[in-house]
Parts: sequence; C-alpha cells; structure tokens
Amino acid sequence: MDALIFPLSTLAIIVCLGALLHLQFGQAGIVNFGVVGFSGLGMYLTAILVIEAEQPFGLALVIATVVTGLVAAALGWLILDLDNEAVLVATLAFATIVWHLSTTEDQLTGGVVGLGTVPLPFDLGDYRATTLAYLGVLVAIAAALVLYARQVSRVPYGRLIRSIQDNEPLARSLGKPTFRHKVVFFAVTCALMGTIGGLDAAVQQFLVPRLLLADTTFVVWIALILGGRTRVLGAFFGALLTVGLFDIVVEQYVEVPREYSLLLPDLQLMAFGMVLMLVILFRPAGLLGDGRKRRAPGAAKGASA
Amino acid sequence: MSAAPTRTDSTPPAALPARTGEPVLTLTDVTKRYGGRTVVDVPRLELGRHGIEGLIGPNGAGKTTLMKLVTQAVAPTTGTVVHHAADGGERRLSGMSADAVARMGVVKSNQVIQDFDSLTIRESMLLALAASRRERFFSLFGERAFRRESEATIDTYLERFGFADPDGHAGSAGEKKLLDIVRCLLLRPSFLLLDEPTAGLPQAETDKVMELVRERTAAGEMSVLIIEHDLDLIWDTCAHVHFMAEGQVVLQGTPAEVRADATLAEKYLGTSHV
Repeated sequence: MDALIFPLSTLAIIVCLGALLHLQFGQAGIVNFGVVGFSGLGMYLTAILVIEAEQPFGLALVIATVVTGLVAAALGWLILDLDNEAVLVATLAFATIVWHLSTTEDQLTGGVVGLGTVPLPFDLGDYRATTLAYLGVLVAIAAALVLYARQVSRVPYGRLIRSIQDNEPLARSLGKPTFRHKVVFFAVTCALMGTIGGLDAAVQQFLVPRLLLADTTFVVWIALILGGRTRVLGAFFGALLTVGLFDIVVEQYVEVPREYSLLLPDLQLMAFGMVLMLVILFRPAGLLGDGRKRRAPGAAKGASA
Repeated sequence: MSAAPTRTDSTPPAALPARTGEPVLTLTDVTKRYGGRTVVDVPRLELGRHGIEGLIGPNGAGKTTLMKLVTQAVAPTTGTVVHHAADGGERRLSGMSADAVARMGVVKSNQVIQDFDSLTIRESMLLALAASRRERFFSLFGERAFRRESEATIDTYLERFGFADPDGHAGSAGEKKLLDIVRCLLLRPSFLLLDEPTAGLPQAETDKVMELVRERTAAGEMSVLIIEHDLDLIWDTCAHVHFMAEGQVVLQGTPAEVRADATLAEKYLGTSHV
C-alpha cells in the first residue's frame, strides 16, 4: 500500500492538470500545449522559495501561484488573439523556455544536479500518515476542480466561454469582451496549474529539469483527449486509463522480466500514441462520448427548475 | 464606370416626410480600402433619422462592408463614425472594439449564417441576455434566478417565432438565421442593422420579424437599417432609402423618390423591380 501513495499522488496531480486543461481547451477552446511550463514554473518557484529563501510552504505556494498567473496574463495578452496554431506553438515554446531556465539558472535551481529537498507542508509525526494525508489533500483539490468545471459549465460564464470557442466574432458582436475574458480565464487557470505544480514539488521532493520536459503536457493532453475534452470527467477517466494503468497497475503488479523493464517507458509512449490514434479515428469526442446530445436535456432540466 | 451617377450627399429636403428625429449615427469621410481597391467611400451619411431605413444596391456595392464599418467588425481605413445617444451624449465608434460598439446598443445581424454549435437555442438566448456582472469566472451561482428572470422575455420570443425545440440546437438554416436576429433583438439595441434578414427565412417568419421590428421602431425603442434584395419589403417598410453603388451612397430619399429615379434604378436593378 505504501508504494501506492506516490503514484496515486502523481495521478491526482495529472487529474488536476487535466481538469484545468479541460477548462482551457474543452470549454474555452484555448490550445495550451505548455501545461508543464506553467505547472513547472509554479513547482520551481515554490521549491526555490522554500529551500533558498526559507519561506513557509503556504506562502511560497501563494507567491508561486500569483507569479505564474501574472506571467500567463502577459503571455495570454500577447498570443490569445492569434489563431489556434499560433497559441499552440507559443505555449509549447513557453514551456521549453521554462525548462531551459531550470537548467541554466543553476544558482537558483541547482541545474541538472537538482534542487531538494522540498518537505511536505505539514508533518503528522508519522511519515506514512503525512504522505497519506497529503494525498488526501490532492484528491480533494482534484475533486474541487472537477466540481468547479462542472458547475461553471451550467452558469452564464460557462456559456460565455463556450460561445468564444464556438464563434468568437459572433460572441463579440453580442457585446462580449471576448479577448479580455480569454486573457483572464487563461491567467487564472494557468495560475492554478502553477499551484498544482507547487503541490507536486512536495510530492517529487527532489526537483530535476527532467520534470519540466513536455512528457507531462503530453500525458495530460492524451488523458483529456482519451476521456473526452468536452466532458468534465474526461480528464479523470483518461488519467485512470493512462497513468493509472501504466504507472500503477503495470509497474506495481505486473511481473516484467528485467531485460524488458527498460523498454517499458517506450512501450508506454507507443501504446499512448496508438490509443490516441484509435480514439481520434473512432471516437473523436473521446471515450465519454460527444457532449452535444447529452447537454441539451441538462439545459431543459435547468430551465424547468 | 463612364456614366457615374451624380452623388447626392444631402437628401432632397422638400420632398421628405416630417423628419422623425436626430440621426443616431453620423459617418464622416468613411472609407475602406483593400489594397488599391476602395470598397466603401462615404463622405457623409446620417443614419437612424427616420426609424426604419433601407440600404439597397447591387451585389458588391459595399452594403455589408458599410454595416461592418459601423459596428467596427471591420476597421475603417479613414473616417469617423459617431454615435448620438438618446441622452445627447456623443461617442466615437471608430477605434472602439466591436464588442464595445455592441454594448453601446449598435448591433448587427449576420447575412451569412452564424451560430454557436455547442449552445441550444435557449442557451443562445440566455447568452445574449446575460449581463457582464454574471459572466465572471467566480460567479458560480444564481443560474436559477437568472433563468427565472429571463423566462418571461425568452418565452415571448419563443411564442412569437417558430422554433421547433427551444432546448435543442438550431437545426435548419432558417432557424439559425432566425436565432441570429432574435439574439440581436434580445440585446435591446438602440440601432439595429439587419443584413438581408429575409434570406433563408420562411415568409411567415420574415413577416413576424418585420412586424416586431416595426413595433419596436414605432415605440421609439430603436432605429433600424435594413439591407434587403426583396425590394417590396424595402418599399413597404422603410421611411427612407439609401442607394449604394460601387462603394458610394449615390441616392437617398423616400422610397417613392428612389423608385422614381428611373435611370439609376434601371441601371442597377433592372426595370422589373420599379
């Protein structure tokens, strides 16, 4: 059981990032391919503030969140009136810059040697109980984000951001300041990615630049596409099927011959790629299906209430 | 064109019916050029003086572009568009963002069908009605109260117009076109620009739309500018008609006057229409 706490914490982190990407891409249509840039910025800022500046974890996390949000606001202001391809490339480039900084600014980040150790923000005396409690916190945050995404899709703000995704000029012609809304929403959701990254710092404990590689972005994207980008629980099911299946079931419970164990990460990526292709070919709206037909009865219910 | 019609910048004063009011919009030296091509060139144009006004002219005359220059969906190359509010205030629309213009009450329906694919008809109407204070990322509650407040308004439109299933998506082209106009009306504009409202709409729905537009205009709630190729509708509905050709407003006046201007009408519309 103890061996499960770390992968389950990682799973909770992926679900959190997936819920945020669902808000950005599934609801508002912002193609953020730099998820790890924002979570990584939050992660390193938190760690640097805790380790180098000796600030308490909570304060470090708040500062990291705010700084990530401001950086995202500036980036969003520059790129969010461009087309989707440009947003994709710009966010990917941003994540690459963050990764690069983590290797070059080694006085702050420890460079490739790494930065550690980030302690858990609280201590219950017993290490196992503490990590378990921290997992509980992560699960609660993941649940809160999923609930937020669910609730926001049912209120005027949710209709607004969906309308921006569907037809931005039309939304603007109805008096909606779409660009401002996109920048604010992007900044807030990226800031929360920073928060999640900061929380992840305490899960990882020892930070190396490798954590900021695009793998995380890809895993979150694959999870979301697999589950269904327009579904609130899409990221959750997608994460279960990817991270859950491989990092937990296969790594913990399947006996893999030693000579194949090195191949496992490659096989995993291959399987992700295959599944992604199959999903896009046969279930383009994801395994949870297309949100369109199911949304209408929900709206009817709300209207009669 | 060799026989370019003489421009009548000022409307013929004597023959006009009683002027119903001050203009809502004044365009001054508004031009739009794409590359070397001037698609709109309007030295001076007053809109909204007469309640319902028509904007006619051959395809490619620049009618839709002129409307988009007013709503700032397209930025003018030169010139200013000034909005005169009912309280006497004046605001320059040129330079504003398109959404700010819509919030000023200057709203345009679309000629080409536009819709939100993920919103049902009712959701689309709620979107048009939602005030900005409800549209904040932390405003998670109050949906029921908002739907209750909006119910009466939405129901009047649903009763009046023929939507098959308000909680489904707009299916036919006609439904989408109708929804587009209804969204505009829900915004309670002070100046409504209708770009070919009858194209793609069944006759019965067209009649209902025009009836509502006439009611609102007669009540002094808004002024309207209509682009329409159905000239009977223009002659019947409009108190004043602007005739555009090759990017210029070449003739203005009452429907009778414009119809009577036979050479011009023949030149662009063919004799059968007049």
